This record gives sequence, C-alpha cells and structure tokens, in this order.
Amino acid sequence: MAALSIAYKDLQILFKNRGLILQLFLMPILFTAIMSGALGSLGGDGEKDTRIPVAVVNLDGGEASRQFINGLEAAGGVRVESYSQAEAQALFDDSQIMRIVTIPANFSTNLDSNHPSTIQILNHKDAQIQETEAVRLVVEGVAQDMTLESQILFSLQQMGEMNAAAPTVYQQAFSTENLQRQARAQFEAARSQKLVSINQRTPAQQAEEERLAEEQPRLEDVTVPGFAVLFVFMTAQTTALSIYNEKKVGSFRRLLAAPISKVTLLGGKMLPNVITGILQIVVLFAFGVWGMRALGLKPVSLGNDYLALVLTLLLLVLCSTAMGILIAAIARTEGQIGGLSTLLLWGLGFLGGCFMPLFLLERFLKQLPMVVPHYWAKRALESLLIRGVGLADIGLELAALSGFILLFLAFGLWKFDFD
Amino acid sequence: MTAILEVDNLVKKYGDFEAVGGVSFSVEQGEVFGLLGPNGAGKTQTISMLTGVIEPTAGTARIGGYDIRSQMDQVKKINGLVPQDLALYPTLSARANLNFFGRIYGLRGKELKERVEDVLRIVALTDRADQAVDKYSGGMKRRVNIAAGLIHHPKLFFLDEPTVGVDPQSRNHIFESVLRLNRERGMSIVYTSHYMEEVELLCNRVAIIDQGKIIAMDTIKNLTALLGGGVIYVGLARVDDEILAGLAGLPAVAEATTVPSPVAPPASEEQALEAADRPPVSTEALVKVVAKQNQQAIVNVINYLNEHNQNLTSLEILEPNLESVFLHLTGKKLRE
Ligand SMILES: Nc1ncnc2c1ncn2[C@@H]1O[C@H](COP(=O)(O)OP(=O)(O)OP(=O)(O)O)[C@@H](O)[C@H]1O
Ligand SMILES: [Mg+2]
Repeated sequence: MAALSIAYKDLQILFKNRGLILQLFLMPILFTAIMSGALGSLGGDGEKDTRIPVAVVNLDGGEASRQFINGLEAAGGVRVESYSQAEAQALFDDSQIMRIVTIPANFSTNLDSNHPSTIQILNHKDAQIQETEAVRLVVEGVAQDMTLESQILFSLQQMGEMNAAAPTVYQQAFSTENLQRQARAQFEAARSQKLVSINQRTPAQQAEEERLAEEQPRLEDVTVPGFAVLFVFMTAQTTALSIYNEKKVGSFRRLLAAPISKVTLLGGKMLPNVITGILQIVVLFAFGVWGMRALGLKPVSLGNDYLALVLTLLLLVLCSTAMGILIAAIARTEGQIGGLSTLLLWGLGFLGGCFMPLFLLERFLKQLPMVVPHYWAKRALESLLIRGVGLADIGLELAALSGFILLFLAFGLWKFDFD
Repeated sequence: MTAILEVDNLVKKYGDFEAVGGVSFSVEQGEVFGLLGPNGAGKTQTISMLTGVIEPTAGTARIGGYDIRSQMDQVKKINGLVPQDLALYPTLSARANLNFFGRIYGLRGKELKERVEDVLRIVALTDRADQAVDKYSGGMKRRVNIAAGLIHHPKLFFLDEPTVGVDPQSRNHIFESVLRLNRERGMSIVYTSHYMEEVELLCNRVAIIDQGKIIAMDTIKNLTALLGGGVIYVGLARVDDEILAGLAGLPAVAEATTVPSPVAPPASEEQALEAADRPPVSTEALVKVVAKQNQQAIVNVINYLNEHNQNLTSLEILEPNLESVFLHLTGKKLRE
C-alpha cells in the first residue's frame, strides 16, 4: 500500500512537469510521424489508397469468375488490377507487382457442375509477409463463400428437379424439415470438401535470399518499435532523477524514518517507471495504428501473437525500470543523471538499432549492438510485428532482455545508497 | 516520570572520523530536551540514528521501551521527524504533501483528512494549503515541514533546527506551536539548534554537544550556574591599582581588571558574547569585574565605591547564559 502511495505521489509530480510529459509522450509520436513520413515518401495527394494491389489474371471469363473478382473488390483491403497472363508475368518478373491471383480456365463450368477447381496465388520474393497473408485471407474468404453458395444452389436445383418428377405420395419427402437437413449437410460439405481451393507459392529463389527478404522490413515499418524502445528506456532517467531529487530535498530521510521497509520504498520508486512505460507504449502504439492512418501513413502492424507482444513490451518496461535504479545507484551528481544519462540513453538507443532496421544496423556494426538491451527489445518487436512470428521464435530475445533486467537490478541494488 | 528516550553510548563513524563519539542522554516523558551545538557538532547525525535514517556504528537507544537496533519498526511509529532540510515535494501543494506523508504512515480516508486539517491548523496554513510549496515563503515552508512530521501524532518529536532561515514572525509561531504541542498534547520533544535563545526559551534540559561529544548536560539554570556569576562593567571617573585591588578583594568577586580603550556599547543579546571581552560604555576608565555571584557582587561593588567616594559613571551587568557557558567550556563561540 505504501509503495502505491509513493508511486501515486511520483506520478502526481510527473504529471505536473509539462516538459517531461512532452519528452516522454509527445516526442516519440513526433519522431515516429516525421521518420515514417520522410521514409515512407508521403503519398502526395493525402487520400492515398492503402488497399493492397493484387494482379488478377482471369483465364476463365465466365459468370463465376466475375463473381469471384467482385467478391475480392467487395471484401475491401485489396485492390484488383486485371492483367493478361503475359502482362502479369512480365510485371512480376520486373518486381513491379508483388502477387498474381490466377483464376483457372474452366472455373465457372466446374463450379456449376459442382466440380472442384484451384485458384493460384503467386507471391513475389520481395512481397511483404503481412500483405501476402492479408491477400490470402481475402481470397480464401471469397472462395469459401462461393463454394457454399454454389453447393447449396446445386443441391436445391437437384431437389427441385426430383420434386417436380415425383408422384404426390412422395411429396412429403420434400418437406421443409428435409430441405433444411439437406441444406445443413451441404453447408458441412462446403466446409470440408472445398470446391474452390487455394494454391499459394513463392517462386523458388535461393533459400538464403528469401529468408533475408523476409527479414528486411522497409524503413518506415520499424519506426514505432524503434521509438517505443528508445523512449521507454528514456523513462529510466526520470526514475533516477526522482530518486536523486528525494535525496537532495531530504524527503528520502522522511521516508526512511517512516515505518515502511526499504523494499517497499524502492518498489514505490520503481512502480511509476513501469506505469509510465506502459502508458508510453499504449500512446505510441495507438498512434501507430490510428494516428498513422489518419496522417495517410502506413499503420503499424501488431503481428499475430498478441501475448508475445505484451510480454515483450512488459520486459522492455521492466528493463527500463531496472536501468533507472542502476543510474540512480551509480550517478553521483545531477549532471550525471541529467545530461550524461541523456547522452548515454540516446547513444544506447542508436547502438541498439532504435533508428533503423536491424539488418541495416548489423551491416555496419555486426555483433556490437548485442551488448545493449535496446537491441534485444527491438529485435523481438521487429520479429513479432514485421515478420509476424510467435512467442516460440523470440525466446532468445526475451531471455536476453530478462538477463539485462536481472543484471541491472542486481548491480543497482548492490550499489544503491540509502543515505 | 519515565524516560521516553534513553540513548546509550551512541557512535557514528565514517572511516576513522567520529561524527558522533558516544553520546548518552535521556529524555523524560513530556520533556522538551535541547541539543545545542555548533555546525558539525553531530546533532543531525545523532537524530538520524534515533529515527532510523542511518545505522549507528555502535551503541544503542531505547525509545518508548523499544530498542532502535532490533525494534525499529515500533520505534518509527513513536517518532516524528522534522529534518533540517525542507523535506517536501516542491511542486505539490502543502495538502498533497501532507496527504502523502499521512498515507505513508498508514492513514486513510476520513482519518487522514482530519489529521491533515489538524496539522494545517497547528501551523496556521489552512488558508493556503492548496498552493504549491515552492510558492511559499521560507517561513511557511518551514511550517509545512513541521506539519509533515506531525501527521501521525508522534509521541516523541524530533525537530532538527526548524527555524533556519525563518523570519521573526514565523519563528515565534514555530516556538508557540512547539510549546503548545508539548503542553496541550503532552508530546516529548528533542529540539536541536545553535541558537541559545531558542533553547533557553523552549527547553527544560539541554545537552551541549561539540565534536560528537556531549560536554555538558543539565537544566539551563544549573548550566549557567556553572559559570557562577556574570560580568559587571563599572565606569569610574578615575581608577588606580588600589581601587582595583580593593574591588578584587570584595566577597563574591573573582577578579577586577581595567579595560583598555573604550568602544561602542553592545546593542543586543546576540552581541553579548563579544561584549564580554569589550567595554560596553565609554568613560574615562572602565573596570571589568568578574563575579562569582552577580547579585552579591553588585551590592558589594557599589558599597565599596561609596565608601571610597568614587563616582560611578556607568554600570552594565551581563547575565550568565548558555552562550557564555559554551565559551567557558570549549573556548569557542557557538556561532562564528
Ligand atoms: N555521510 C557522511 N560522511 C562523512 N561525514 C559525515 C557524513 N554526514 C555527516 N558527516 C560529518 O559528521 C559531522 C556531524 O554532522 P552533523 O550533520 O550531525 O552536524 P550538525 O551538528 O547537525 O551540524 P549543523 O548545525 O551544521 O547542522 C560533520 O563533521 C559532518 O561533516
Ligand atoms: Mg544538522
């Protein structure tokens, strides 16, 4: 309870400090907006079409294929561009289009006669993984709808024919009840036996090159994770400064003279850092998702594994907090906590890759960034958000971050001076 | 009477340097006890050990019967501390500061609210309680500083130089509050200062501390009696060795000497110390009489002068005080 009181008091003090609020909450947003804008070459007219372009080659031309294309358009999120097969292939080879959806020649006839057919999706090696994923979902969704629709139509048609031919005594066989049962069976069948299936492939390149392509996010994709890491770590300075001020003013003496344990006292000083860090992340990611869209920029993706994302961000916040204690423990003067640690935190942020994609950073600095926690936090976030991987794939990053937390805390607490 | 505080040979060392070199004293329930000493004497260090801010190097103390080394948790509930520095959060209001310190002592809700209002009343700051502390005058800040130490109604209240940098009005207010807390609420008080007037005004007993050691401890009356008497300056139209010898030979007089070239008289009690070495009144001749007992010495001196037809041109009597006691004991002044 006392720890909460200390934290509450610290947050009261923090929120009275306008400059600090600007630095902790507004600066990351400004940085993100400016960097994303600059890197993402702000799309001139402002009303940029954010739909993913999809080249469609229609080898069929029948009623069902038109229906399929309309379905894609109606689904939103993708923009259909029609090409002939040759045109599409040429543009694809030239890396001008990132994916081709091909409707097979006898698509309409097959569907009418309840025979399966396969839609091809061809992905370019440079295609962005989350776009590819989005397109696949849209195509699959439309295909499934069509399967269901055509199967139900087909069976109704069959039943109608039988009904017309049957003698009156058998007419009860076509009661509403039976019709419903039949429809339900068809619905199940549409789920299990897909009439329209999807075949997706990426032309075989050198395996290594493909892996690299996947890992190479565009510059503007890394601004939100990068600045989240940079600015959450900046909060460590606020914590250190708050401890320093308590000591300078002498209120620390009062706290030491009060019936609370040193653990409670430290906990109370650390909690505001955790809360501030979480707020920073919420604000920055909210901006990344909605603000960026409002500005006509590409919104940040939150990846596929939210649990892993939350866990990573929590470790990031804890690492920043531990760093705050460390700075408070080793810095001796206000200058060391103010100016010097600002420099240090920007430096570490730069070294840890907060300002650029990690593949670029690693090209210059090789293994060096691994010595700073920023690197591991950023690497975990890039993997989650850009490559769309899950918790299992960022074990190393999270372990490294946890290691830094323990190291900072152990050293910080050991050196911490309560006098 | 039982002692609320018993200090037993408390020591604080920094390397080889002894900030506190083994002090022992006790404070009775309901007593106002003074710790008087010059800068760096070890007053703050002593209080810090007693309030759990720092660990003693050796020795111990019992507060309300609890040992400060093994039962600090209990001790902390009895203690209230007003640190020498303004230990407040400057950007928060007085009320927010007091709310916070109250919560730290486990106060909540209605009780907390009442206590905050109560201590604000004690220091007479209810009107301006919602203003940020850094907008206050020095004296008002000091008063909030005191209020913050009172929030949990301590039984033993440590005030470490609470009047530093304070205007006379606030200072008087602080004195009144301290005396009222003692009289009306029965609070035991340990008050440090290097202003002897404060200690003389407030405290029942005083420990004089210098270089980490207690060099004298008693009631103010007994301490000043250490000096025996005081100093009497006698202005005469004419003085010779015979008169000097006669004065020195009187009962209750320790010595009599002429004072060289006269200077301006002392203006205030603050300058009384300097005055002890200098003649206060300008006359043809000035004799400094050191008395064993003031009253008796004055009567004897005047009688002697009458008997010998000497004209008295001036008479100045300096009462013995803690300032002179300190000078007497250490050969140093309390303040430079
Ligand atoms: N952390 C420390 N390390 C080393 N020496 C210290 C430390 N704290 C205090 N001292 C020394 O201990 C001695 C006593 O200091 P203390 O603060 O108790 O004096 P004080 O009587 O309160 O003086 P003042 O009237 O100036 O407040 C001083 O010489 C001081 O320099
Ligand atoms: Mg002091």
